[in-house]
Amino acid sequence: MAAYTELLKRPVSPTGVWSWLTTVDHKRIGLLYGVTALTMFFIGGIEAVIMRLQLASSDQTLVSPEVYNQLFTMHGTTMIFMVIMPMGAAFFNYLIPLMIGARDVAFPRLNAFSFWMFLFGTLLMHASFLTMSAPAMGWFAYTPLTSLEFSPTSGVDYWVLGLQVLGIASMAAAFNFVVTIINLRAPGMTLMRMPVFAWMTLIISFLLIFAFPVITIALTLLQFDRWVGTNFYNTAAGADPLLWQHLFWVFGHPEVYILILPAMGIVSDVLPTFTRKPLFGYPAVVFAGVTIAFMGFGVWSHHMFTTGMGAWANGVFSFATMLIALPTGIKVFNWLGTLWGGAIQFNTPLLFSIGFITMFTLGGLSGVMHAIVPVDTQQQDTYFIVAHFHYVLFGGSLFGLMAGIYYWFPKMTGRMLNEGLGKLNFWLMLIGFNMTFFPMHIVGVLGMPRRIYTYGADQGWDNMNMFMTIGSFVIVVSFLVFMVNVIRSLRSGEPAGDNPWGAATLEWSISSPPPHYNFIEIPTITSRYPLWEKDHSVGAAQAHGHDDDSHAVHMPDPSYWPLVLSAGITMLAGGLLIWKWHQILGFTIISVFGLLALYATYRWAFEPVNEPNHEEPHQ
Amino acid sequence: MAGLLLLLAAALSACTNPQTTFSPKSDTAQSIQTLYLLVIVMASIVMVGVFGVLGFALFRFRDRPGRVASQTHGNTKLEIIWTLLPVAILVIIGAPALIAVAGSAKAPDEDALHINVVGHQWWFEVQYPGMGPEDPNNPGERLPLITANEVHLPIGRQIYVTLESVDVIHSFWIPQLIGKTDMIPGTVNELQTFTPQEVGAFYGQCAEFCGTAHAQMRFRAVVESLGDFNEWAEALQTAPADPASELAAAGQTLFLAKGCVACHTIYGMPGAAGKLGPDLTLLGDRRTIGAGIVDNTDENLQQWIRDLQQMKPGTLHMPSFGTLPVENPQHMSDAEIRAVSAFLRGMTLE
Repeated sequence: MAAYTELLKRPVSPTGVWSWLTTVDHKRIGLLYGVTALTMFFIGGIEAVIMRLQLASSDQTLVSPEVYNQLFTMHGTTMIFMVIMPMGAAFFNYLIPLMIGARDVAFPRLNAFSFWMFLFGTLLMHASFLTMSAPAMGWFAYTPLTSLEFSPTSGVDYWVLGLQVLGIASMAAAFNFVVTIINLRAPGMTLMRMPVFAWMTLIISFLLIFAFPVITIALTLLQFDRWVGTNFYNTAAGADPLLWQHLFWVFGHPEVYILILPAMGIVSDVLPTFTRKPLFGYPAVVFAGVTIAFMGFGVWSHHMFTTGMGAWANGVFSFATMLIALPTGIKVFNWLGTLWGGAIQFNTPLLFSIGFITMFTLGGLSGVMHAIVPVDTQQQDTYFIVAHFHYVLFGGSLFGLMAGIYYWFPKMTGRMLNEGLGKLNFWLMLIGFNMTFFPMHIVGVLGMPRRIYTYGADQGWDNMNMFMTIGSFVIVVSFLVFMVNVIRSLRSGEPAGDNPWGAATLEWSISSPPPHYNFIEIPTITSRYPLWEKDHSVGAAQAHGHDDDSHAVHMPDPSYWPLVLSAGITMLAGGLLIWKWHQILGFTIISVFGLLALYATYRWAFEPVNEPNHEEPHQ
Repeated sequence: MAGLLLLLAAALSACTNPQTTFSPKSDTAQSIQTLYLLVIVMASIVMVGVFGVLGFALFRFRDRPGRVASQTHGNTKLEIIWTLLPVAILVIIGAPALIAVAGSAKAPDEDALHINVVGHQWWFEVQYPGMGPEDPNNPGERLPLITANEVHLPIGRQIYVTLESVDVIHSFWIPQLIGKTDMIPGTVNELQTFTPQEVGAFYGQCAEFCGTAHAQMRFRAVVESLGDFNEWAEALQTAPADPASELAAAGQTLFLAKGCVACHTIYGMPGAAGKLGPDLTLLGDRRTIGAGIVDNTDENLQQWIRDLQQMKPGTLHMPSFGTLPVENPQHMSDAEIRAVSAFLRGMTLE
């Protein structure tokens, strides 16, 4: 063990930069995910605003077509892979152990590895801006547009490798959370007593495990085509361009549910708290989630109704897509059932949840329209589609995640967000959102295709586009209000206490923010809403834990190796990029960082949970 | 609300929004529209129902002094009802939708007009198989009649369109006549057949992102009487008359000298048989230039020849002739550009 002290002393301090770089605490990792995702939301938002300015009126020349194509490609990729997914990850990292009564996730270092891979993948993809060659082929990167012949710059390379790195992050996290939720539940916390958010996390973890390998394969084939000249997608050599589309959407459609289910989980946990009654039809909501996830693998070709698949395929996928409306409807109706008969308190988390239900319902209804194949031939690739998926992903996912932020911010920071600013935030966002995205249905009906950087005045789309651009600035203002609220509350927000909302689930039984070991004594659970039980035994068990018997709790020490390993793997991708420009340099980088990754794996494997003779760090 | 606004949009349509999907001018577009309206009405009913119940619940069950939430956990009967009710709605919209899908697979009529459209980055090549001049290598057979960025259609005759691409995936779409179908390299796709029902020039546009100038890959579908259509098809395979003016004659010489003919074909003009760019036969008769992006006027065509990279950034192969260095043999002065423009626009039906 002497080697540790010689080379790199294992970090022990609970504060400072190194403590964050080496943390294995799920709560800190959750916060890292959240802060990164919000930063990326800012960047993706700027991209969106530039696009809206360009489209504000016809024949604008604010940006060139090349730049515009980069903007919408990176906007989509960023918002999906670097904002909504990690924002969900932030919540399930922070909350799952707290909700199921565990002290951490099953594999704390793997959890840190997931975050660093995510961060480095994000940085890798955005490094393309530094070389002025951001990807410009749309976030679903249809072949053969992505081939070297039609996309000779390195944008596609950055995109492919960035997604591969992000994919490793997602896979590691998914396995970690499946094991955590299956194995680390507190005594009495049966699956059917878990908060719905924990259920949704379990479901999306399985979705990730089954969906991501498909995109990994698709990307790997594309990598081979672009690096060594294989012909997987080379139409000139007889390849079928639809191969990519099938692989992409077999991943891409479950991905949609990966993006929406966390928000559904959040809303299912927020509603009971602010209606003061249990979730209506808990088993139905859970099973609807499972059903949506399962069916989500059987509807991918509804993204391809216009590719000439033939009447049989179109019919079958149309039918399957209509069916998926049923479990989705069941969720919405059960949320209405939860509100019915409640004592509804209109706090900000509830307002955002209502926003979620209404906007998501609209998005769901336009989704059913796309299932009708002949209608879809008029809607496909128009702004009607853009409207639809923003109602699902912004009006749905993001409103749900905002509800989650307002709901759990007190738990994470110990301070309340300001309610007045929160309500202002909500109303501005709701109004701005609808101003920006509702008219997209109409310009879509009026024939405006998506992904066009310009349009002629003769099309008659000017006024509505100007209106939408103004709406996008209302969203910007709402986001600024949110930032002000967060910064003010971090500095001088009202202290939250353990359970400011009078909520019923386990995370509210401990202090805010929770101690790093979470529970001084692992609680025993007897119902779905433990804190609403008459005797409050769970809270009482934690309450007496504030004295210093935390020495009895053994938590894993921080570790450098997740950070080093993910840096090594990411630089393998970086080496591949450099290889295209300078083979020897690229090969050197690949070798050096490959060895580093190997070394880090080895050190990780033989690293003890705790250093011997080392006092447990405590806060 | 959504439905009402969309209907309002439909009312505004047509003249102010030439690319609208809500002003059908063919039998197929009309039947899509009927289905579209049915779906909008059903979706609006669901929306009003959900929002109504939600609004009522939010008001009726708001927290106020003395209010105690009822501790219900669920209701199996309700769960069954709100599973079956949507099933009924789905049957109402799903049955006609699936019937329509089955119907779309119908083979074209025997006398349907076959058109083959080929996608290029970023323009449309339009071929009418078997309608062109006689094939010199294959006597008795007729070559396809070829034009670009403008699809001429006789009114009242069923149209059967096949779709191809020579580079990336494009999508062929004439909102007022027919929904879109993708043009996929290596594959021949079929557009659902349709019969145009009204004379006019309808907007079309590529709907699948296909690279830099995707936004400017447009075209027109010109529906005309059978007589006009035949006259046009005949003129396309008639050698053009000598240029009517001195200016145009000079333009014709320049068209050869400046290398335009390496990429462009003009039927009947010796030496002009390039295949890389759009066929320019009878260009003066087209409504637009640059793949549907601007009206076909002297000013626009001159500007196009002078600096097309500014009008349509990313255009492949073709230089902005007016901006080339003067010592470049392909450079064109403004006078030369006027001449070439006069020549091209001088080729008309009359």
